[in-house]
Amino acid sequence: MNAVTSSATVPRSPAPPPAGPRTGPVPRGGGPARVSRRKRARTGWFFASPALLTIAAVTVFPVLFSVVLSFADVRLEYGGFRLLSLTGDHYAAVLSSPEWRHALLFTFGFTAVTVLLELVLGTAAALVLERLGAARGWVLAVLLLPWALINVVAAQLWGYLFNGTYGGLTWLFEQILGHQPDILGQPASAMGAMVVVDVWKTTPFVAIVVLAGLMLIPGDVYEAAEIDGAGAWTTFWKVTLPQLRPIMAIAVLFRILQAFGIFDLPFVLTQGGPGTATESLAILGYKTLFQNLDIGRGAAVATTSAVIVIGCCLLFLRVFRTQADEGGRA
Amino acid sequence: MALRRRTLLAGGLAAGAGLTSGCAGKPLDSLLTQAAHVPRTPATLVWWVSEIPSRNGPVVADLIIRAFERRHPHLRVRKSNALSTTDGNRAAVTTQLAGASPTPDVYLGDTTWPAQFGANSLALPVQTLLPKDFWSDYPAALRRVSEYRGTVYALPFFTDNSFLFYRKDLLAKHGLPVPRTWEELLRTARRIQRAGDAAYGFLWQASVSESLTCNVTEFLADAQAPVLDRAGRVALSGPGAERAFALMREFTETGVTPRTVTTYAEADSQDAFTGGRGVFLRNWSYAWGNAADRSVSKVAGRVGVVPRPGFDGDGPRGVSCAGGWSNFVNPNSQHLGAAVAFARFCAGEEAQMILLKHAGVIPALDDVLTRPEARRVGDPTLTRARELRLVARPVQTPYYPQVSKALYTQANAVTGGRATPAQAVRAARADIRTALEGRAL
Repeated sequence: MNAVTSSATVPRSPAPPPAGPRTGPVPRGGGPARVSRRKRARTGWFFASPALLTIAAVTVFPVLFSVVLSFADVRLEYGGFRLLSLTGDHYAAVLSSPEWRHALLFTFGFTAVTVLLELVLGTAAALVLERLGAARGWVLAVLLLPWALINVVAAQLWGYLFNGTYGGLTWLFEQILGHQPDILGQPASAMGAMVVVDVWKTTPFVAIVVLAGLMLIPGDVYEAAEIDGAGAWTTFWKVTLPQLRPIMAIAVLFRILQAFGIFDLPFVLTQGGPGTATESLAILGYKTLFQNLDIGRGAAVATTSAVIVIGCCLLFLRVFRTQADEGGRA
Repeated sequence: MALRRRTLLAGGLAAGAGLTSGCAGKPLDSLLTQAAHVPRTPATLVWWVSEIPSRNGPVVADLIIRAFERRHPHLRVRKSNALSTTDGNRAAVTTQLAGASPTPDVYLGDTTWPAQFGANSLALPVQTLLPKDFWSDYPAALRRVSEYRGTVYALPFFTDNSFLFYRKDLLAKHGLPVPRTWEELLRTARRIQRAGDAAYGFLWQASVSESLTCNVTEFLADAQAPVLDRAGRVALSGPGAERAFALMREFTETGVTPRTVTTYAEADSQDAFTGGRGVFLRNWSYAWGNAADRSVSKVAGRVGVVPRPGFDGDGPRGVSCAGGWSNFVNPNSQHLGAAVAFARFCAGEEAQMILLKHAGVIPALDDVLTRPEARRVGDPTLTRARELRLVARPVQTPYYPQVSKALYTQANAVTGGRATPAQAVRAARADIRTALEGRAL
């Protein structure tokens, strides 16, 4: 989707180097079993190699290349470009710049607020959906519509609603407030609008993931809770929520990865404005690289973003590790 | 496992570094020698071109290509469709060029690109390939934006000039003349707004984008406040700059301009005007075609167009930002001679006359605007283009995108009421200085 998310996910996905069958673990027992195992491994690598090569070409190489560029002093020349030296200057320039700090703050704030809201609303929606009988399929289909929309299309749609001249929402607020609001023209309301659109768009995703988790909870747990005399509230806090934690962790992880790389919403809705209020790290990286043609610094913005989001995810996973492991065994 | 992962990473980094430094440069002299001659062997050029507004149906780019191919029967030109936005185009074209792609051979680019593209070797310096008197037929501002450090990197194609569009019917109803100053425009607009004849007085563009930089450039020129001095250092300061910024604030403060102007790009302001909601509109010349088109405009037949007003006093009037599109030659092209010939053909009389007759843009060649055909087209922006005082944006620096961002960010804050004119001028000055030092992101 964009530089930040794609590079962010990558270091998690590269395949381990092909551990040749010779160096692979030797199965106990030896003899014919050993041969067949080795053969199977070889066949396995053979079939997996196109996929591995593709991943290496489209994911591993671009990411490593981008990391190299972030350290490189690159000069564009007639007939190509030349790498002059490898330094850490771009990182020093990026990390000390007010633009980067501002973008980092906005991106963090946006991620925290939207992920939290989406988790709460998505869980609530999932709880309601679980209780629906035959209508669930239909309601789900309708609920999933925003999620199914392409991001840019959704952003454009909301852009029309917020438009200062003919926007439906602008008109509605004008009727209520008595004056025309400048929704995307003021920092606070522009950020608020962006959160609203993101929550509208992605809550269904969280809802459907949590719903899947809900449906996996065995019924006898609830029976036991009922026998113990637990009320609805207690059952939710002491039974449902702990069971849901692993799957919620996964939903939150996915959302952090996506929200941190937010590009299309601010790009379409505000171009990062008013001023630089909604300039996310991804937008800053795009502008640095493609508008300013500042290759090294642009790559440094992308790399730092990737490192930060991976750090956040690892931290988050550590906090939730126990629960996630339980979920894995269930 | 950990060791192996590290080996892989190091290997990848080394491979990447090797590949990066592996690309070799080509000497400019040999490129220019190639570019000086049109080959006699057949060749096909690729022209990266976005859709040129058409006045009467036919695809303008195709007409020009056919005319060129008639002159050079052994050469063919194939269109490569560019994107619709300047920034989208820049991202797409620079990605190709930085990767040393030989195509497109010629690309249509914004007039703000030459310094940046020249400094990064993405455009062929064409100055030495042109006759000495080449530029005498084009507006001086166009030459200024096409060169960087004394070398020209772009050949003129068409210009975008800005005008003041106004509602003839509303001015007539109130018995008011077309305003010649901003002060007069404010009074006129308020009077018509108070009478309930229009929701908005003056529509322009103040979203955080290049559109706003164009507007700011014009207001600053009205107030005779330069952004950069002759040596290319920041000059933005003083009462002139503050006067320009204060005017932008006054428009929104008095309600003559809606506060939502801070999110307006060209299309938004034009929609509001053609929807009959505004008295005055600042926009590029192409807006005339849309305003006069009955199928999209509620105010068709009731619109007049004049050069922009100036400030009260003896300052300049009819200032217009020098906008437009020029052709650049890809230095990696394998048909440099043919590419230069095509770019020159586009700047020449035959192609410029095609633009005059069929395209809804202003030809770059000054002379064709005085032809009888120009009057026959019936577009007032064509006949009045020569009255304008064209001003260049401060594009003679490879850091122009950052300079532009410094300008539009602060102007947007003033217009939205988040900074005073004095604060905004100070902040813009500091940000421009950082940009010129190459320290801004």
